[in-house]
Amino acid sequence: MTDSGLPTSEHLEHLDPDTIADLIENLLPAPEAHRAREHVKACPDCQQTFDALLQLSADLADEGRTDIPMPTDVAEHLDAVIVSESMLRSSTIGVHSLAQIREEPRRHLPKLLGAAAAVVVVAAIGVGVVFATKDNAPGGTADTNPTTVVPTGAPTLSTSDVGPDAQRWLENSGGTLLNGSADELACAKNFASGRPNPQLRLVQPAKVDDQRATVIGLQGASTQDIQVFVVTGCSESGGVADPFYDTTVTLRNR
Amino acid sequence: MTPEISRIGPPEPVGQPAAPAGPVSYDQLDDHELLRLHVAGNPDAFGYLVRRHRDRMWAVAIRTLGEPEEAADALQEAFISAFRRADSFRGDAKVTTWLHRIVVNACLDRIRRRQVRAADPLPEDEDRATELAGPAEDDPAEVRERRLDVLNALKQINSDQRSALVLVDMEGYSIEEAAAILGCAPGTVKSRCARGRARLLPLLRHWQTTRAGAEAPDVPAKTAAEAVGTE
Repeated sequence: MTDSGLPTSEHLEHLDPDTIADLIENLLPAPEAHRAREHVKACPDCQQTFDALLQLSADLADEGRTDIPMPTDVAEHLDAVIVSESMLRSSTIGVHSLAQIREEPRRHLPKLLGAAAAVVVVAAIGVGVVFATKDNAPGGTADTNPTTVVPTGAPTLSTSDVGPDAQRWLENSGGTLLNGSADELACAKNFASGRPNPQLRLVQPAKVDDQRATVIGLQGASTQDIQVFVVTGCSESGGVADPFYDTTVTLRNR
Repeated sequence: MTPEISRIGPPEPVGQPAAPAGPVSYDQLDDHELLRLHVAGNPDAFGYLVRRHRDRMWAVAIRTLGEPEEAADALQEAFISAFRRADSFRGDAKVTTWLHRIVVNACLDRIRRRQVRAADPLPEDEDRATELAGPAEDDPAEVRERRLDVLNALKQINSDQRSALVLVDMEGYSIEEAAAILGCAPGTVKSRCARGRARLLPLLRHWQTTRAGAEAPDVPAKTAAEAVGTE
């Protein structure tokens, strides 16, 4: 024993790293801190741990100052999300945050579902493309996953499917579904702006009767009536919509 | 290609004496100007702003969350939130500080939701993990290796400790700031940091040893008394 009555270091077990880390952060009660400090001074192993913990903080700070390149697929996805957000802002669709939608799902249900669907679908597509469909053949089209309520990728259908499918997509996404690349959305918006009923309710890339097309839905006489067009041209950057099929669907009240 | 735009408001150049008169590119605008353009309705300004800072924000998100999918989702939420709340930004702060805080909060929200779900850790994906280090051509191998070591080690400690350590040790927030962000007492932050470092230490011993062999330590070895003061 020492003069102070405390045991010398050789009579003590090594301090565990938690205790040494707490010592560094001044978290130990005074008597325990004193004993720990004395031990560290006298014990080379614990002094080494002590030094290493200090060095670790410095190293983490160094590492923290370096950026990490965002993976290209994530960056592209986030770019697309922001472009979509810009388009939503400039459209007549009221957009609310995802947090609001989560917190107050019932209060805002009718008008928020549309906006939520638009944002969530963009997210689903982006993340899906980023993380789930990396093995898809380049330029290929992803079939609709039968277990999902809204399509991902560009589903394959015939013109006779367009009405029922568009109706199902819209009913399952709260009445509005804006899907596709920024170019495709912009092309659809241009198409809508030239119509007497310019409010976009549906944009969905698809392969219709074996040609790459875009299904566009415009609000009709009421919010339940949707005029559905199938156009070509929107899948190309700067393309102009050329409709080749149209139909009208009436959404069922949910 | 950077499109040309017309400047709105007085120029506030950063890092250069004055912006050229006439049309300027987005690259020539500082963060405040980009945000003002965005609030004024410019459809592209916010995208440029995010692109400028995305590697920094990705670093924060991936370190805090550990999983790339979670980090990407958190950034998406954060960017959408920032996009919509841009008009509430107070011009006296740095845009990066504001954006950084939104990203941190989005990450912490995800952690809280994940804790509620009590999800099991996702399985390790070696290919994906290697991607996290960034494109191979961008950084030297040792930088990528160290980055991966730290990311992998951070993933192995609990999320409370990881959040505290990332905020305090890696992002340079004070204990008090981190406590406010995390919604807990400063003592709790200190405790989480301490325990987190103790957990990380054995996981990064190799890294420290390698560094010590390669270069002089950044911090001179302190004694216990020097580091914590004397009673």
